[in-house]
Amino acid sequence: MGSDRTIEQIPYEDVNADVVRTMTETGRLYYIFLFLSMAGVVVLWGLPWAYQIYTGQGVTGLQTPAFWGIYLANFIFWIGISHSGTLLSAILFITQTPWRRSIYRSAEAMTFFSVMTASIFVFVHMGRPWNFYWTVPYPNQRGLWLNFMSPLMFDVFAISTYATSSMIFLYFGSIPDLAAVRDRVKGWRKEVYTILSLGWRGTDAEWHWLTKAYPFFAVFIIPLAVSVHSIVSWDFALSKVPGLSKTIFAPYFVVGAIYSGSAGIVTLMIFLRRGLKIEKYITKTHFDKLGMLLVVMSLIWSYINVVEVFTGWYADTSFETESLRYRMFTPPFSYMYWLMIFTNTVMPLFLIFRKVRRSMAPALIISLGINVGMWIERYLIIATSLPRKFHPYMWNDYIPSLVEVSITLGSFCFFTMMFLMFVKLWPSVSIYEVKEDIGIPFRRKKGHH
Amino acid sequence: MNPVLLGLYKYVDDMIDAAGRLRDSGYEVSILSPIPLGHEIEEALGEPKNHIRYFTFAGAICGFLFGIIFTLGTAAMYVLPRGGRPIFSATPTLLISYETSILIGVFFTLIGFFLMARLPYYKKRVYDPEVNVDSFGLLVDGIREDKYGEVERVLKEHGAKEVKRLEKE
Amino acid sequence: MSSIFKRIKDKLADYRRPGYYKEFDYHWAIVVDIDRCNGCEACVVACYAENNIPVVGKKGCDDARIFNWIRIEKYIEGEYPDVRVKFIPIMCQQCDRAPCEIGCPVYATYHNQDGLNVQVYNRCVGTFTCATYCPYDVRRFNWFTYKPDKPLDEQLNPDVTVREMGVMEKCTFCIQRIRYAKDAAKDEERRVRDGEIKPACVQSCPTGALTFGDLKDQNSEVSRLARSRRRYRVFEELNADPSVIYLKRVMGNGKRSHD
Repeated sequence: MGSDRTIEQIPYEDVNADVVRTMTETGRLYYIFLFLSMAGVVVLWGLPWAYQIYTGQGVTGLQTPAFWGIYLANFIFWIGISHSGTLLSAILFITQTPWRRSIYRSAEAMTFFSVMTASIFVFVHMGRPWNFYWTVPYPNQRGLWLNFMSPLMFDVFAISTYATSSMIFLYFGSIPDLAAVRDRVKGWRKEVYTILSLGWRGTDAEWHWLTKAYPFFAVFIIPLAVSVHSIVSWDFALSKVPGLSKTIFAPYFVVGAIYSGSAGIVTLMIFLRRGLKIEKYITKTHFDKLGMLLVVMSLIWSYINVVEVFTGWYADTSFETESLRYRMFTPPFSYMYWLMIFTNTVMPLFLIFRKVRRSMAPALIISLGINVGMWIERYLIIATSLPRKFHPYMWNDYIPSLVEVSITLGSFCFFTMMFLMFVKLWPSVSIYEVKEDIGIPFRRKKGHH
Repeated sequence: MNPVLLGLYKYVDDMIDAAGRLRDSGYEVSILSPIPLGHEIEEALGEPKNHIRYFTFAGAICGFLFGIIFTLGTAAMYVLPRGGRPIFSATPTLLISYETSILIGVFFTLIGFFLMARLPYYKKRVYDPEVNVDSFGLLVDGIREDKYGEVERVLKEHGAKEVKRLEKE
Repeated sequence: MSSIFKRIKDKLADYRRPGYYKEFDYHWAIVVDIDRCNGCEACVVACYAENNIPVVGKKGCDDARIFNWIRIEKYIEGEYPDVRVKFIPIMCQQCDRAPCEIGCPVYATYHNQDGLNVQVYNRCVGTFTCATYCPYDVRRFNWFTYKPDKPLDEQLNPDVTVREMGVMEKCTFCIQRIRYAKDAAKDEERRVRDGEIKPACVQSCPTGALTFGDLKDQNSEVSRLARSRRRYRVFEELNADPSVIYLKRVMGNGKRSHD
């Protein structure tokens, strides 16, 4: 641990100065992107959703028997992306990996915002979203209660727990950094950060309690993340639909989530370091390690895919075979399926080479490809199993309508907008962890603690 | 209120030596730092305690019991048969309890942290912004009127960049 | 003291019993004789009339949003003159172990004491879980608020509500007729007689392919037909325990069944 330091020796003062600079200095390009994403949220998401609420779910391409479509695919995709922060923050904390230190704050923010984006789709896919509060258990005088056996009820609890816990985790780990920012800014910013940093001084007692409580949060949030995505997968796996009711769905989705989350981090880091000019904190070593992680996850994901197809073929039930055939060999789904195999299994194999891992352009292309591939995978799971349910008389094809596609794009704009706002309002690199990575200054002996 | 002395150090081992020496002389010593210094100051300031785990454990147990009582209790209160499954069913009960135990455990841990670290505290306290950048501060309290010079000498002897005299409000 | 323990034990036994009911009050079932069904779809039209089902129009049918609670599945095999056509009426099978009931998060569908799978329109939030979980694809969704053109709105059945958009609906075994018959029987302090209730589809079938009745009553027509050697249930292997029993067709040219 002492020898593979990931950041070279930067004076502590520069760390503070750099991080506060990312929050106070803004270029014109930032405002352009922020404006574009806000406009995207209103035009691509807000207006079509208002139209859908007013007119009814009929404006989507959903039909009998494909009652779940691109909205649920997006929901699962965003919950999958949210596992990035948990992986980096919590799992790599437990294993005491040093290279997580400078990137985990943005990854945690990514987690929180993608859970928010995913919960949008819960409301969007409902038939009567103005009654959404009926899914929350509250005492009422009409004798109404909730069905705790429903996988969607598990979802409500799991996702709200996950959102709350990741928000608390993000805030808790940032308290010392907010104090550092508070000391350097003026005006309205100083007031805001004074309140947010809770009067943190950095005494040994405060640090002691922080470092004692932090592992508990990490230990809580890891099984929570695994259970959240398992529960989301059980929305499908607890049905009897041929392409959906597989027992491998829970590990499949969790592995896919970690995979797409890691790819999302790589993409985000490439943009972040260029946009905020923090190249010295997010170095090629980080991409090296992240690339290795991507190779491992890619291999596990490919294995699970092989298991799914193999067991489906081996079982030789007519329903299962039809569902697989529809997914793998019927255009247009066959194009999507084999593209997914290419971007998720073949292309990440290039990351075995060290030179590929350490260069930005291949990392960007491969990670974007993985994200596209994982989105296609979520979409294929839903859109190719429901239209081929049991009765051949009811088979149909599902094509998403313009409203659905635009809301999908709007969700990406929403995520971008939230993340852009985060970058300017919160320290996106963890100051004290970076300082720990640089090393504690000892007069007599050098090195890490 | 007598003022306190804050010695700012560049190197951690200097500060730890000074801290050990001053603590043995009987002063109240606390360390302000920009990074957590868990192991290093253990020898100087003594073995720390870990009370947070009691909060966490209590929270997890409370959350688990809450989940079970919530699920089974309300299932018994509003009996609506569905799907040929029993009203008291193990799987959804355990799942919901799992989630609530994590939720309540997280809350209790956070509350435990707030209680132990005595945050949030917005009144003015002894602080120097430099300790959150690159200096390590040694805060000495409980000094009698005539001993200021001696303490300052000890601090400077161990290599303090600067010694400040700050008023406790 | 021991009576409290006994009460707790009984309650626990109740709550742990799969399906909760020790026995149903009535166990409504339909027997469909495929040998008699000629695909005339009179039952479909009767269901539309009885239950205020909206007509979606040509565009709706193209989008596979047709609303029929009971459908006649047609499977055509062979070439002329050797054509074999199979008509299978499928309506909600009122499964005793229904996958749809466990999927609904807000309890908009549950199993009542008559063995029916009831749908509560007011409670439905529109999560589509029940429709996805149903293996028989019998659930229909109100994609828009369909308003019947004049003068068809004067034809609406006052015993049945009109559903707004966002609500899931399905065949209810004409529960309004069941309620009327049960209320009349309660007034006269007797049980519902066999043949007293006919849902709209059963009433309008010209060949008598559909029979409705109480499976608990061993002497009812349904029970007698359900004991036939031709009986089967659709997708029996999925273990949904449906209450609709089908009687296999006897082929004219000496074959034993229609599969």
